Amino acid sequence: MKIWDNLIDDIGKLIPTGVECEIKMINSTESLTRFANSHIHQNVEEELTDIFLTFHADGKTTNLNLNITSMGSIEDIIKKALSEIGNNPKDSTWPGLTSKENSFNGYKDISPDDPDIRAQKVKEFIEQGQTFNGAGYCSSNVSNVFVWNTNGLNSSDTATSAFLDGIFRSETSAGSSHIGNKILSDINAQKVGKEAFSITKESQNPEDIDPGVYEVILGPDAVSTILVFLSVYGFNAKSKVDGTSPIEINVEQFDEKINLEDDPHKEGALNFKIDASGAPKKKIEIITNGIPKNYFHTRRTSSELNQSNTFHEMFGWGDSFGGLGTNLYLKPGDISKEEMISNVKKGIYINEFWYCRVLDPITQVVTGLNRNGSYLIENGKVTKPVGRLRFTQSFMSSLGQGNVLSVGSDNRFADSEFGEGILNVPMLHLKEFNFTGGVSG
Amino acid sequence: MFNEINKSIDAAISSGAQYADARILISKSRDISSKDGELEDFSNSENMGLGIRALVGSSWGFYATYDLSDESLREAGKKAYLIAKASSKVPGKDFPLADVPIVKDEYVTPHEQNPFKVSTTDQIDLIVSSTHEMKKIGSSRAFGRLNFWDTEKWFASSQGHEIYQNIIESGGGISSLSIGDGETQIRSYPQSFGEYRTGGWEVIQSFKFLDHVDRISEESKRLLTSPQCPEGTRDLILEGSQLALQIHESVGHAIELDRILGWEAAYAGTSHLELSKLNEHKYGSPLMNIVADATLPGALATFKYDDEGTPAQRVDIVKEGIWTGVLTGRDSAAIAGVNPGGMVRADGYGRLPMVRMTNVGLLPGDSSLDEIISSTDDGVYMETNRSWSIDDLRLNFQFGCEVGWLVKNGKITDMVKNPTYTGITPNFWGSMDMLAGEDEWVFWGTPNCGKGQPSQIGHTGHPASPARFKNVRIGVRG
Repeated sequence: MKIWDNLIDDIGKLIPTGVECEIKMINSTESLTRFANSHIHQNVEEELTDIFLTFHADGKTTNLNLNITSMGSIEDIIKKALSEIGNNPKDSTWPGLTSKENSFNGYKDISPDDPDIRAQKVKEFIEQGQTFNGAGYCSSNVSNVFVWNTNGLNSSDTATSAFLDGIFRSETSAGSSHIGNKILSDINAQKVGKEAFSITKESQNPEDIDPGVYEVILGPDAVSTILVFLSVYGFNAKSKVDGTSPIEINVEQFDEKINLEDDPHKEGALNFKIDASGAPKKKIEIITNGIPKNYFHTRRTSSELNQSNTFHEMFGWGDSFGGLGTNLYLKPGDISKEEMISNVKKGIYINEFWYCRVLDPITQVVTGLNRNGSYLIENGKVTKPVGRLRFTQSFMSSLGQGNVLSVGSDNRFADSEFGEGILNVPMLHLKEFNFTGGVSG
Repeated sequence: MFNEINKSIDAAISSGAQYADARILISKSRDISSKDGELEDFSNSENMGLGIRALVGSSWGFYATYDLSDESLREAGKKAYLIAKASSKVPGKDFPLADVPIVKDEYVTPHEQNPFKVSTTDQIDLIVSSTHEMKKIGSSRAFGRLNFWDTEKWFASSQGHEIYQNIIESGGGISSLSIGDGETQIRSYPQSFGEYRTGGWEVIQSFKFLDHVDRISEESKRLLTSPQCPEGTRDLILEGSQLALQIHESVGHAIELDRILGWEAAYAGTSHLELSKLNEHKYGSPLMNIVADATLPGALATFKYDDEGTPAQRVDIVKEGIWTGVLTGRDSAAIAGVNPGGMVRADGYGRLPMVRMTNVGLLPGDSSLDEIISSTDDGVYMETNRSWSIDDLRLNFQFGCEVGWLVKNGKITDMVKNPTYTGITPNFWGSMDMLAGEDEWVFWGTPNCGKGQPSQIGHTGHPASPARFKNVRIGVRG
């Protein structure tokens, strides 16, 4: 890409000897068509080129983040950064730059999608809702990332993604569905619309039930929320460094049916094959037969914990966040949704969680609510829709030994509290889940 | 700069948009974080670009670019129009924009010391020495953070607005984390995630972090051996920053008109409020007086014009417990038949402006925290937020705080850990029976309010003083 080639040519010539420098660039076009009350009301597109520079000299580090328009003279930027660096204390955990041998060339010149295609997808979704009120979004993104450093590394990659996420609302209910794909035209809007319609219809006139401990079946978006919390607060090695992670490697902490891997090379994976250090990512095991196998490391956390780097530095996030897997797959089981329901004596189906927050990171006790489709299941049959429930439940225990009764056979990309497209998961049947409040509080 | 913006606006209008407005922003930020007496992160950021929105029929089209060349600016205007036009495949009802004064004006946040002109050594020293002290005293982990923003905005519209604003915001905080056997306890100052205001370096100096390191470090350690917050129904006394978040979640979001109209239904949710009950619905007790006031000097959401060029103003939201007002934009106000309140902002040039809380605060009462405690027979006083969750109608909430103190027969007795409380919005606000006065009224700021798709982070203000709530369910645990 011309902007990138010019940038590294110019900077490469101006870095003084003895200064380590790393440059990252994110160049993307993010487009999102938003609808509510069954019509498109907001339709946006942003084209951005952000540059992230890190300088390390005399044992000190400074970071400078700019977009291409605000850069001005590259010579001035380098001078400013090197003059500011003198004010900083020593960086005792500087992990160094990625070596030249890790260079990876994955850049592809891809044009953004036309807004008419997104509008058509929205139309197809809304048509499935009949008289129900539709709301949601259809997005499509093209993102290019580049990393260069004074070790001679020069890496790049391109990722595309498209999502359709929508709900229908009746007077008394709502139902949602979600789909993700690398290519917008491959999104099956009618299928998503039909699912959301069906849930909305079946959830009408919900009844309140008493809080308590119930068996649950969790839809993919609810499963995704549990796993993303465990990823950010547990498997993120920064939380281990900070002493707040509940995850212990090679200790049986989860049910043996839980198998989670991060695989950027899997067919259809939506996120980058390199991390923000410029190194290529590999497929790694996160949980195998219920046993944690790896944290998500950055250069800094792998150095601090003296463990192998897993290359999970995030583009656009600083060292204070840590690392996160972004191509996560929970291994499917062999049981259909219908079979799962037929195995429940008395339990609740939860389509989606909402507004989950951690009470204590080390126990992973989280509170949140259900929304967009919940039903009571009795003696293997869905008997009635249920209203709002608040849970207060350890997410560690929810996937703990003996608590996962079965894993669904169908995976899909799911939404979560930390964004879409990073988790591809099936449904789960859990033995116990603690609901601590109902409609009346 | 206005000439540049108008090239884009002219292109959108000549393409067929019925209205267009645009902003060029130069946004600077600085993040400094420290852990255990070391500098963890030091980053300066700066970006510049244009965002233009065009109205065609029933939809906004928005396009943002970093490229400010003439050709790109004109192209951006055309693209905003074309994006809006694409929406006509799934049209709604056309809507007008509420009238606002067409002004040409300038505004700079009053400040003493621009934080970007203060020595970075001083800034780093302050936060590193704070975490160093806490670590030395015995915190398992000591965290500190400073954040500064300097945002220059040029706004123009096809109706003739030309407004320049320079908004300066500063904030930060410190936390002591104590790690025990299978649990962590944390204490923060001035509040969890830090305290944020409009203003310069003087905001940070006013916090006097080093005066508080001993207390929060000691309290976080003591919490490890303290008993659990009891379960049951008792009187609840909330410290100001926790009450600020309570206002944010259970009032601020509920009164956003875009939510009430269903525009946020799929993501942030809607609201339990129905417009037909404006001026009738009982939101809380007669002590409850909420205003949205973007003119409060020094509060985090203080400016002179919003991102639609509407003047900042004070709007009554709840008067003596009755719901009287909403947060509006020019589009939603026109649809609902209410006045536009100057409450639309975006978190950068790349995002579509949307309804945002300004300084939504609870006006002070005539009591004091001391009086509230001395008149409480059996209650818990909770300080500093630790977790927050509320349903998508903004009714059913549960909050956790960093520390609780039992109150018995008018006196604080024991410290308790993991305090939580839960409730339903109108019942909870209806139970407020004592409210501290102006001496304890603080302009708390929330710098991390998420809303919209694509996601935006908003800076909102919530003036509040401590208050008491009767018969609240506390001590919910997993």
